Amino acid sequence: MTRHHPDSLSLMEYSAGNLSQPHALCIKLHLDQCPHCRSRVDTLDSLGAVMMDQQPKVSVSDTSFEQLLARIDSVPAEAAPAAKTPRLSPLQKLLGEDINQLPWKRQLGDVSVLDISDKFPEQNERVVLQKLVAGGKAPAHTHRGNETTIVLQGAFADQKGVFNQWDFVVLNEQDEHKPVAVGCEDCITLSVLSAPLKLTGTFTRMLNPFIR
Amino acid sequence: MTTLEQQKAKPEGRKDPWGPLLEKVGKTQDRAAYHALFEHFAPQIKYYAISNGLASHAEELVQEVFISIWRRSCLYDWRKAAASTWIFTIARNQRIDMLRKMKRSSAEMAIETEDLWQIPGDNEDEPVTSLHRLMSERRIRESLSLLPEEQITVIAKVYMEHKSHQMVADELEIPLGTVKSRVRLALNKLKVILQDQNV
Repeated sequence: MTRHHPDSLSLMEYSAGNLSQPHALCIKLHLDQCPHCRSRVDTLDSLGAVMMDQQPKVSVSDTSFEQLLARIDSVPAEAAPAAKTPRLSPLQKLLGEDINQLPWKRQLGDVSVLDISDKFPEQNERVVLQKLVAGGKAPAHTHRGNETTIVLQGAFADQKGVFNQWDFVVLNEQDEHKPVAVGCEDCITLSVLSAPLKLTGTFTRMLNPFIR
Repeated sequence: MTTLEQQKAKPEGRKDPWGPLLEKVGKTQDRAAYHALFEHFAPQIKYYAISNGLASHAEELVQEVFISIWRRSCLYDWRKAAASTWIFTIARNQRIDMLRKMKRSSAEMAIETEDLWQIPGDNEDEPVTSLHRLMSERRIRESLSLLPEEQITVIAKVYMEHKSHQMVADELEIPLGTVKSRVRLALNKLKVILQDQNV
């Protein structure tokens, strides 16, 4: 279904557990819908296991295993994790059932935004939801630093192509784009920004502080 | 164990000696099997903790990983991952959790580590693609032995030392582009790169 995938290097950093939570969230949302990338991550997880096996070993303390058994015996009734109940998707956990009903803040024209950085108190990155009304246009802008985006609903198009639901895209300073929401749904994206964006149109420059 | 299960488990058993042990722990809480897994994997996990900068918590991480293995082993499905891969993902998640706990303020966390990093087999809806998964670990081992040392070094730093590609570049004093191309070459041989975008 999806046509724009995370690159192998990002998947490797994900598999190694080195990504920040917001970045891992973007990857995880894509993986949940993309068997192709999930199978790449399976291979990378196996690479992790092989790396761990080929590194030096350090012997554990003599009492380590006894301690473990003592702990197991002391908490016999500890409930096994329930696999049967379907997990809520991380998106539902974060944002509830309907992302259309969030307290969106109208920005310029067709664009609404919602800053959800406070959901990730340990991180310094900005995490922003953006909504472009169906058929709407966003003002031309470039990005400072990297912006990782996943499409949560609808689709948008720019010079590089059409980005559908669960497509994954990374933009940087070189990418000036002017996204248009295509299809009959509002387009909602989740972005992790390492720096605010920069408007490039003549008029919109003065509005710059109001757009991220 | 039924005959059918034996037939299914047999070829796997030869390739992955740890899978059947993990299944025994899951099905019958077999402590001898658990001990054998501990003997093999605990020293790996302890090194993993130390190389990740958790030297003073290394024994603790080993304990947490093995408690998790005990509790989750009933969910282990050899068709979804080799035992060592499954254990690696548990060690990784426990390491992430430990680092989170260490720097956690009083702030309430909206999502758990396992919402973001899945353990293979946790999601029942996930289709079983056993052939691919069984192949991959053996193939990786074989391909890895053919890689030049400089590529293995970079991968080891990413997996074992919790380092980003940028940090690896800084440490080895080589350009970021060189690190990335070494990783790409390695992943290419490991067949992870199937259709990277031309970005």
